[in-house]
Amino acid sequence: MQLRLNGEMRLVAGAILGAALLAVPARAEDIVIKMWTLDNNGYKEFIAEAAESFKATHPNVTIEHQIFPGDPYKTALKVALVGSDGPDVFFNWSGDRAKQLIKDKLALDITDFGNAPGGFAKVLPEGWLDAFRYDGRLYGVAMDAVSKYVFYDKAYFAEHKLEIPKTLGELGALCKAVRGINPDTIPMPLGNKTRWKAIHWMTMLNERAMGVEGTAADYDLSRPADQLYTDPGYAKAFQALVDLQDAGCFEDAPNATEYAIADSMFATKASPMEYCGTWCTSGLDAAGFTDYGFFRLPVMEGGKGSADANFLVPEGYQVSAKTAHPKEAVEWLSFLVSDEQGLKFAEKVQFLPSNAKLIDKAEGVPQSFKDIARDVGTLKQGVNVLDALLESTVADAYMNATVEVLNRTLTPEAAVGKVREAALAAQAKQ
Amino acid sequence: MPLPPTPTITGTSSARRPALTAGSLTATAMMAPALILIGVFILIPAVVAVIGSFFDFSMTSANWTYVGGDNYRRAVTDPLFWLAISNNVFIVVGSVISQVGGGAILAAILDRGIRRGNVVYRTIIFMPVVISSIAVAFVWMLILDPNVGPLNAVVKALGLPTPRLGWLGDPSISLWMLLLIAAWQNVGFQMMLILAGLQAIPREHYEAASLDGARGLKAFWYITLPGIRNVLVLATLITVIGGFKVFDLVFVTTGGGPANATQVLGTYTYTQAFAFGNMGYANAMAVVLLVTAVLLGWLQVRLSRRA
Repeated sequence: MQLRLNGEMRLVAGAILGAALLAVPARAEDIVIKMWTLDNNGYKEFIAEAAESFKATHPNVTIEHQIFPGDPYKTALKVALVGSDGPDVFFNWSGDRAKQLIKDKLALDITDFGNAPGGFAKVLPEGWLDAFRYDGRLYGVAMDAVSKYVFYDKAYFAEHKLEIPKTLGELGALCKAVRGINPDTIPMPLGNKTRWKAIHWMTMLNERAMGVEGTAADYDLSRPADQLYTDPGYAKAFQALVDLQDAGCFEDAPNATEYAIADSMFATKASPMEYCGTWCTSGLDAAGFTDYGFFRLPVMEGGKGSADANFLVPEGYQVSAKTAHPKEAVEWLSFLVSDEQGLKFAEKVQFLPSNAKLIDKAEGVPQSFKDIARDVGTLKQGVNVLDALLESTVADAYMNATVEVLNRTLTPEAAVGKVREAALAAQAKQ
Repeated sequence: MPLPPTPTITGTSSARRPALTAGSLTATAMMAPALILIGVFILIPAVVAVIGSFFDFSMTSANWTYVGGDNYRRAVTDPLFWLAISNNVFIVVGSVISQVGGGAILAAILDRGIRRGNVVYRTIIFMPVVISSIAVAFVWMLILDPNVGPLNAVVKALGLPTPRLGWLGDPSISLWMLLLIAAWQNVGFQMMLILAGLQAIPREHYEAASLDGARGLKAFWYITLPGIRNVLVLATLITVIGGFKVFDLVFVTTGGGPANATQVLGTYTYTQAFAFGNMGYANAMAVVLLVTAVLLGWLQVRLSRRA
């Protein structure tokens, strides 16, 4: 009797417990997604607002956002990813840096998460997905792209009846005209102390000389060793830089000038032009300079490049292979590239979003931003930047060679020789 | 049940060892935090660096491949490694002359030459020592900027030519500029060391020497120099070790450029490790730097003891 009663009691207790479990939904585990990005204007605010909005569908997910300046970020990220307290999702450039992390199994293959309903692969165009696609798998989500244009002071051009150049030769002539107006005016300051400004020039000058297809096999080191970097177009591109320097385009000591000083020369109208990234628009607006126009780097006379190609570097986010929450991490990234967030990203950060479906509705952005976004939309070919695209030792050799060409301690041909030497060594190691 | 025999300590060894007193226990306990910190942040990384120098690996790769002495052989044939070493030697020699020499001259002036405002001058000269190297580097970057820097403006105002490629952009003068910045920052420290040495020499020695007819250069040679010999040795060794270890100043002002012209062992090791991912090779160079620093440190201790 006693046993029978106990059994009944157990049944009742079990039923009550079961009912209670069904009535109260299980409390989801609290999840923290640690996110690392660069310190760009408006980025912090954009992520903070997006994280709040994300809570509507993911109330248990908290986004912990940390920002870093550019150069320290590159080192800090590698150290953190190897360690045990790294970010779950992190900013990265497409190209060699992303590829290296994939090779070392530090970046997660997110193809399946991306292809799930609502995933980023269902939202972004194929061209953008390619930015982080390796061997057919997706290892990142493209968030935006940066491009470069020659920005110019409209009022200065109108006052002195200067015209937008159509070729590099005309650009040189334009620089001479500016020097003719006032010899102390630097037409387009370079600011190459940290070496990346001139490598951006070389990125486009190589394209203008040889076209994207002409350089691809050298850049990824797939060309046979005896032909690697032997195209005379490389020396021609260096020579074009020398010609512009001879035309007085740049300051006297470009390799000793900080890029920030070059930027401020244009922003304060001390110089009428600057070859600058699309990220410069927010800085110019902040400095109160809005009356500027822009044009693509002109084509090279007799070159194989195309006026429809321009500097375009996709950037985005990757997911750490060590994350404990890959599903939520990718859902967060997919949320960031949704139509609505693409629009907010454009408004807050003023970078060209990978999802630009609503870009025309953007409010509070300068007209120049919309014009640039429109121009980028007409590009037939994007040209990725050499310091992110090339194998690191080759990129370093290219940057040093460019410094030496500007210093006139290397001829264009000798500079190509240095790059080829580094490329052969890198190819042999592969 | 009988207990096992208790082990006994034989008399000879215990007699040789000093007894573990409360005082020595306290001393050990007091030193423990420092020893632990040295172990964790210096000794263990140093051992790992030595081991790592015999492997090929990148910072992000999981696999270490044993390569024996290849990384050291690579250093021997790497022209940039030798350039970095020669730049270090240049900085060491230049720093000894400018910092120790300059510090000695300033100390002598303050000790003997200036009657008023001694403390003010001393404070002004010493001030850069307490500023962080990074801040010093940024300030000098602005001073030396070819477009907006005051140095160019002053030189031009004097009707003199400025370097076409900039003070930090010209490979032939950029290393000299680093030397100048390092001297500006550190000469005050050497001055204080030497001044303390000078002031420790009893005045009676000079008075006695003066009665014997030894003045000026003779007094300097026979009294001052032997009197501050120990301090000079110490100042020189500190400068030499600092010259070999230099990193932050070069990293911020030139980044080792233009085109590797100012590359030193510290920055080149950093570049190989973090830009190119050659951690094994970077470790080998770090070991070279470590051995150099240890040898110089040993020399310092030895010379100090002898003195």
